[in-house]
Amino acid sequence: MRGFRRERGVFVARLESAERPVLLDVVNGVIDLFGEVPDPGDVLDPFTRLTITEEPVDPPEDPALHRLLPDASPDPELAAELRRLTEADLRTGKVARLRLLRGALEQAAPDLVVSPAGAPDVAAALTDVRLVLAQRLGLETDDQADEIRELAMARGAAADDAESTRRFLAAVYSVLTQLQGDLVELMVSELDHGTQ
Amino acid sequence: MVTEPGGPSRTVGPATYDGRVSRSFQVEPIEESATVEHGEGWVTVVWNDPVNLMTYVTYVFRSYFGYPQEKAERLMLQVHEQGRATVSRGPREQMESDVQAMHGFGLWATVQASG
Repeated sequence: MRGFRRERGVFVARLESAERPVLLDVVNGVIDLFGEVPDPGDVLDPFTRLTITEEPVDPPEDPALHRLLPDASPDPELAAELRRLTEADLRTGKVARLRLLRGALEQAAPDLVVSPAGAPDVAAALTDVRLVLAQRLGLETDDQADEIRELAMARGAAADDAESTRRFLAAVYSVLTQLQGDLVELMVSELDHGTQ
Repeated sequence: MVTEPGGPSRTVGPATYDGRVSRSFQVEPIEESATVEHGEGWVTVVWNDPVNLMTYVTYVFRSYFGYPQEKAERLMLQVHEQGRATVSRGPREQMESDVQAMHGFGLWATVQASG
């Protein structure tokens, strides 16, 4: 993988042929975590867009999904109220951004092209995918982030299937981290030049 | 072989963000606190995590709140080094939308009463 660069007014990264299906698979896995979310591109009755519910919304059981849709207050009552009012919108927004990332990956052959206007959404989606992988890897402290980097570069036979899976997740995590880091650098330069 | 992100979760304990943040650290007041009446306003607090890139967090504080680079970077470092930072102050409804926006960006934030 070669990270994002500015080329003719857009941001372009180049993926290895083996990377694209793997990244697509992981992004699809994160989209699936959200379950059924209406595609904003679908024709919708305007009333089905009313997402505020009177019923309490339970926090997600999956800890990775819970990190993407976290409690919005240390006060349990306020957290529950805010979840009821905002979680559906948050889900819709996150899935839309993940689908944008998926679309860019689907068209990456081999160039992954992101417009400056779409870059913040893609960067947010990359964060969400990285947060899910980090949870699966048990990454909870800044020190452990260094271990993940080492794990991603580990050579030789893995001790067992679990180790092999961890190495795989760490390698994907590292690729996504580099992609996001380079993309954010370009987004910062957009901000610096006042073009947003 | 490609593993779904859902696959290995059984072998990994749940992430408990509360567990990694000290509750006893001192938080330095930010400049703006002088202009806000304590006890009446609400605040948006952003919490540290080991995933979000420092450049990205700074970018979010600049682009969403409109903070200058220096202030955005100072708040980012406060999150990184002290575990959390108060990033905005104001009426509860505004803080609730700030928190929701932070969650959209993938940062973990909470709204709470100040003072």
